Amino acid sequence: MRRVFRIFGRAALAREVEDELAFHLDMRTAKLIAEGLTPEAARREAERHFGDLATVRQSCVTLDIERERAMRRADLLDELRQDLVYAARMLRRNPGFAAVVVLTLALGIGANTAIFTLVDAVVLRTLPVERAGELVGIGNPTRTSSLSQGSPRADIISYPLYRDLRDHNQLVTGLLASGRTPSLDVTLEREAAAPEHPRGRFVSGNYFGVLGVRPAIGRLFDGSEDRAIGAAPVVVISYAWWTRRFRRDAAVVGRTISINGAGFSIIGVAAPGFDGEIVGRLNDVWIPVTMQAVVQPHQPMLADRTICWLLLLGRLRPGVTIEEARAGFSTLIRQSVVDNTPGGAATAEATAQQLNYFVDSGARGFSAVRGAYRTPLLTLMAGVGLLLLIICGNVANLLLARAVARSREMSVRMAIGAGRSRLVRQLLTESLVLALLGAGAGLAVAWWGSRLLLSLAADGGSVLPIDTRLDLPVLAFTAGLSVLAVGLFGLMPALRASRVDLASTMRAHARSVGGFGARGQRAPLGRLLIAGQVALSVVLLVGAALLVRSLRGIQTADPGLDRDHLLIVEVAAVGRGYAGERLYALARELNGRFTRLPGVVASSYSENGIFSGTESNNSFQVAGFTPRTAGDSSANSDQVGPGYLHAIGARLLQGRDFTEADNGHSASVAIVNQTMARFYFPNTSPIGQMLRYSDTTAAAIVGVVADTRDHELTGEPVRRFYTPYEQLDFGGVGSLRFEVRAAGDPSALIRAVAKEIKAVDAQLPITGLEPLSALMRQSIREERLVTRLAAGFGVLALLLAAIGLYGVMTYAITRRTGEIGLRVALGAQRGDVIGMILRDALRLVALGVAAGVPLALAASQLLQGQLHGVSSADPLAIATALGVLGLSAAIAALLPALRASRVAPLVALRQE
Amino acid sequence: MLHPDGGLLHGTLDVLVLKAASWGPRHGYAIAEWVRTISDGELLVEEGPLYTALHRLERKGWLVAEWGYSENNRRAKYYQLTPAGRRQLRTEVSAWERYTRALTKALAATSALPA
Repeated sequence: MRRVFRIFGRAALAREVEDELAFHLDMRTAKLIAEGLTPEAARREAERHFGDLATVRQSCVTLDIERERAMRRADLLDELRQDLVYAARMLRRNPGFAAVVVLTLALGIGANTAIFTLVDAVVLRTLPVERAGELVGIGNPTRTSSLSQGSPRADIISYPLYRDLRDHNQLVTGLLASGRTPSLDVTLEREAAAPEHPRGRFVSGNYFGVLGVRPAIGRLFDGSEDRAIGAAPVVVISYAWWTRRFRRDAAVVGRTISINGAGFSIIGVAAPGFDGEIVGRLNDVWIPVTMQAVVQPHQPMLADRTICWLLLLGRLRPGVTIEEARAGFSTLIRQSVVDNTPGGAATAEATAQQLNYFVDSGARGFSAVRGAYRTPLLTLMAGVGLLLLIICGNVANLLLARAVARSREMSVRMAIGAGRSRLVRQLLTESLVLALLGAGAGLAVAWWGSRLLLSLAADGGSVLPIDTRLDLPVLAFTAGLSVLAVGLFGLMPALRASRVDLASTMRAHARSVGGFGARGQRAPLGRLLIAGQVALSVVLLVGAALLVRSLRGIQTADPGLDRDHLLIVEVAAVGRGYAGERLYALARELNGRFTRLPGVVASSYSENGIFSGTESNNSFQVAGFTPRTAGDSSANSDQVGPGYLHAIGARLLQGRDFTEADNGHSASVAIVNQTMARFYFPNTSPIGQMLRYSDTTAAAIVGVVADTRDHELTGEPVRRFYTPYEQLDFGGVGSLRFEVRAAGDPSALIRAVAKEIKAVDAQLPITGLEPLSALMRQSIREERLVTRLAAGFGVLALLLAAIGLYGVMTYAITRRTGEIGLRVALGAQRGDVIGMILRDALRLVALGVAAGVPLALAASQLLQGQLHGVSSADPLAIATALGVLGLSAAIAALLPALRASRVAPLVALRQE
Repeated sequence: MLHPDGGLLHGTLDVLVLKAASWGPRHGYAIAEWVRTISDGELLVEEGPLYTALHRLERKGWLVAEWGYSENNRRAKYYQLTPAGRRQLRTEVSAWERYTRALTKALAATSALPA
């Protein structure tokens, strides 16, 4: 009954209303005529009776349109329900098929969701604070624990500059500062336990106020902490640390703790879920920034405009845009630097000119992790996306094969009147059910996968504290992905399956030759899909091969020092109060003890060390050299002990190593690396040349050393120079690290080294004790993670493509059994049959490779930034990828070929 | 049921239409004639709003319509009550009865105070 009125469109509905009303008027007119009126009078009377015709007509049409819409919605819902019931029945009938499809989709969707979870957590998510969108960040957001000494900067901020910005801007309602703390030794009052080392952060008094964080118990900083230097011995602790360390004991408020020897009282616990403004680092203890010099009495930083270490977050005033904030703060920073830089207006202007200004949205907080993992994660996202495409290809092929098997069902349904669009919709519903089941299972894969990824990323170290819960954006991503997958794998087979030729299908089945009706239709599409999968596999395999080659290159490149025999030892001597002669004496004492240990070849010490994470940069003038940019007058540097170059196994090219005689009482000397020597002295020997640090201090170059990999295994070598540990040209050293060279495995020395340290000073904290090779491996853990995963994806892609090829070839052979039998009957040998099948398969693979190689070359361009020492078109990588692919394809095709070659002619012919 | 100006009280037209359609398929003109006849022309001042009511009730799913041919062999739209429409009619009729009973009782009262 409903179908009678299935007339879509306003015009049709309007015509119906018109007809209905015309009928009424005509009937009424006829009646009035019968009562004796003239036709004209009757018509007028009928219309008068009716009333406002136009309005009635209009509201009737409007009502009808509404009714049509409601009915269509109801119909669609009804059909959807039917389709779902039908789909569920079909899947129950083919549980094997459903399981294979759901599991492969779960793998694809799960892997994508796992990576996206990390992308979301590291790159996309905003801070869990009030209206995070209003926050503006000042400073380079990746420099969360940097400390720079010697010149004003704008990528990390000095405390005096912070105060200038805080007090003289009209851009934000509040501006907070946050900076690194040294390693904290915390002991609790009345507890005689060994010190603990919670993660701490120096923050301004308005920190919690600006962010809008509330206390769980007690109170938070209220801004009064900033009023005077060193006058607020209070701390706030995180909910997580409160839970972990104090089991949520409310009595913790008011307790006194000792931080690096100074007493502080805990005034409150921050609200649960707030772990600080740094993504990938959970903070335990917040200390007022004004207490910095109390925690680090040997390194006061609050009054010095050239000690830069803070990052700032402000809350924009209503109506202030981020661009205005950028312009405004940049001007303020510039002005403050110009006003406070000694040495004349020109120098001050030049200094301000060189600054790197960073003012950007602070909604997502700061993160060193984000800087390190952004590109790797996006690369993996691309790789895993390709994998999903390949999986969709496989599922599409399975569905196509099934579509052929169901062509009879489709013809019957069409014959009894189902429209094509209805059939397509029903098939798509089946696909959607498959995809949603896959997505559901995929979420489980993702939950587990993202944790696996984090532990892989940690590479044996501590796991990044990243929140990998499947929140709303992640779920939306997964749902979107499933729908996209349905479009990719379901649409084509659905269209194909619904395009059945009624007559031929019925006839074919009447002759009971299975699948004959769709012959010649399925093959090209399925084969194209395989070629496409091969092409995508080529892209993934080439990418993986390039990354593997690059990593190999990094790992085997000559670092210019003895990678396999060095033990790097760090002690917190400066933090424990060693300075000046006492520090030097400690260094000499320990170094002597290490050198005398059995199995030690040589030992020395330094300030920054090797792969330690800290680096210095100092400026100087060189006679006869005119700097073109500001950076030309400085180089990285380290202060090192006697025999340092020998100890680390570096190659001395010219001159001499430092000796015991290079100390605070002797003339200043320096050793430069090869890159530095070439840069400043391209035509002369650097030996005897002077590095002029200031008007009164200068050092003579006494040696040239071959470039070494000091802190990074990747990138171009940089200019670097070394000065004696005890010479004070740069104002003394901030740390003490030893480089102990072993004859054999350096980790065998760990216990002995620790024992020597305890013997000299039992209270001296050992903050690092690791073989150099481990430190080096950690420095490339992002590269290692990406390479391992990319290789994994490549292998999966290969496997899937091979399975797809195997399936298509098997299917083709089943269809051609008769033909093969005939050939054998006519005298074809086994080899001929195998050759025929293999040629057929290799044509597909060749097609895929032909499409895949240009794609791979284009895609690997995007990898360029992550490749070190390997061209993005590296022939060896491409050849390896193609070789592996060809071999797998050959195996995948050989199995069905062998089966085909055993076809007995009679059996085959009888089958036809 | 009547407005002071002779028109229908709001909402009453729908009940009348449902009632008219409850005896089987009828076209709009027939329903208009029925309303006119049973009320001696008192209830229906204008016939146009009747059609708005028909389409509104169809939209609500209380009426269902089908094109057919009239006695004089013209194409006409026939309305008929759906099961939901029948339920609705019953509800409205009993509501009217309660209302009029109460009103009648009130108007027949002889004292301002409860007995």
